[in-house]
Amino acid sequence: MKRYELLKELAKLVTDQDLVITSIGGVKPEWYSLMPGNGTMFADLLGCATPFSLGVALNLPHRRVIALDTDGGMLFNLGALCTVGKEAPPNLTIIVLDNERYEGVVGSPATHTASGRMDLERIAAAAGISSTGTVKTTENFAALAATMPSDGQTGLMVAKIEPGIFRDVPPDRVKESDGIEDKYRFMRHIEQLEKISIRPRYARE
Amino acid sequence: MEPRLASLVLQGLKEAHVKFVVGLPDSMLAGVYAAAEKDPEIRYVGVTNEAEGASIAAGAWITGGRSVLVMENSGLRAACEALSRLGLVNGIPVTMLMGYRGDLGERFHWGVNHGITMEPILNALRIPYWIIDREDQIIPAVKRAVLHGISSLYHNAVIFRTPLVDEGK
Repeated sequence: MKRYELLKELAKLVTDQDLVITSIGGVKPEWYSLMPGNGTMFADLLGCATPFSLGVALNLPHRRVIALDTDGGMLFNLGALCTVGKEAPPNLTIIVLDNERYEGVVGSPATHTASGRMDLERIAAAAGISSTGTVKTTENFAALAATMPSDGQTGLMVAKIEPGIFRDVPPDRVKESDGIEDKYRFMRHIEQLEKISIRPRYARE
Repeated sequence: MEPRLASLVLQGLKEAHVKFVVGLPDSMLAGVYAAAEKDPEIRYVGVTNEAEGASIAAGAWITGGRSVLVMENSGLRAACEALSRLGLVNGIPVTMLMGYRGDLGERFHWGVNHGITMEPILNALRIPYWIIDREDQIIPAVKRAVLHGISSLYHNAVIFRTPLVDEGK
């Protein structure tokens, strides 16, 4: 199961009313190529995409928020799952794209999930996350992704994927923006969506 | 921090329209966590480490929910990775409120190192900060810190020194 195939399925389900947060890694260029709109915050966080998404979900409880996290990112900060479980935002869905590798590292060394003795889904459930699942096929991913974000529970899905980054992105869908531009695009999108002012031109008390 | 002073912190936060207090409890600012948890106008989010806390605060902030991170100054070390990326890569601010553990006159041996590392880390990350020790500074410092986050789109910190904070038992 390739990540790009899963993201294509997810892109069919995400609407312009939803918000998506990505972690660092191959998911960023792949998701951008499929969903270049401003409803995604391409965060550059190591191990903190899920807590960042929790902050978004708590602040905008009427929005579906989807975190695209990774096995390496999740393992970096497992305590965050306990905070998610404690806060239990019903509008947050965490998708852990688990390739069992530190793919951005030369040689793609294994993460702990490759041992087969640990289970991120069970860890999430034990942390208090009420809706969890593990999928190994594109069909099962599509089925769970269609229901989990709207089931009224905090969700975490582990998607076991093959290593590899999709390289055939059309030239007009290559992500060229940096983190600052990504921030402004997302912030302005939220301002329009929510009809609020996050950062007025002149900050006042 | 005694309840009367903690209430001033909360007043400053509310006057700055802060909605989220994200915190990892410590002794020096114990009164602030307790007051935030009880306050119906504030959403208090307790965390397991300060990097997670900075990220939650940033996620709320960038979507319009003004936020602060409250912690011991040792938490700055744990938060460095997230703060570096949030601030230097994305320009999403986190305003931090910290007690000055390890200040001159620190009574605990284990607290001295917190004071040694705090200001060098803040300076390394180019984070502006105010160290306050008077009651009349609390409300304006908190409000101005939140305001500065909005205008600078970068982190900042207010550090509470004795006699504003409790040194603990």
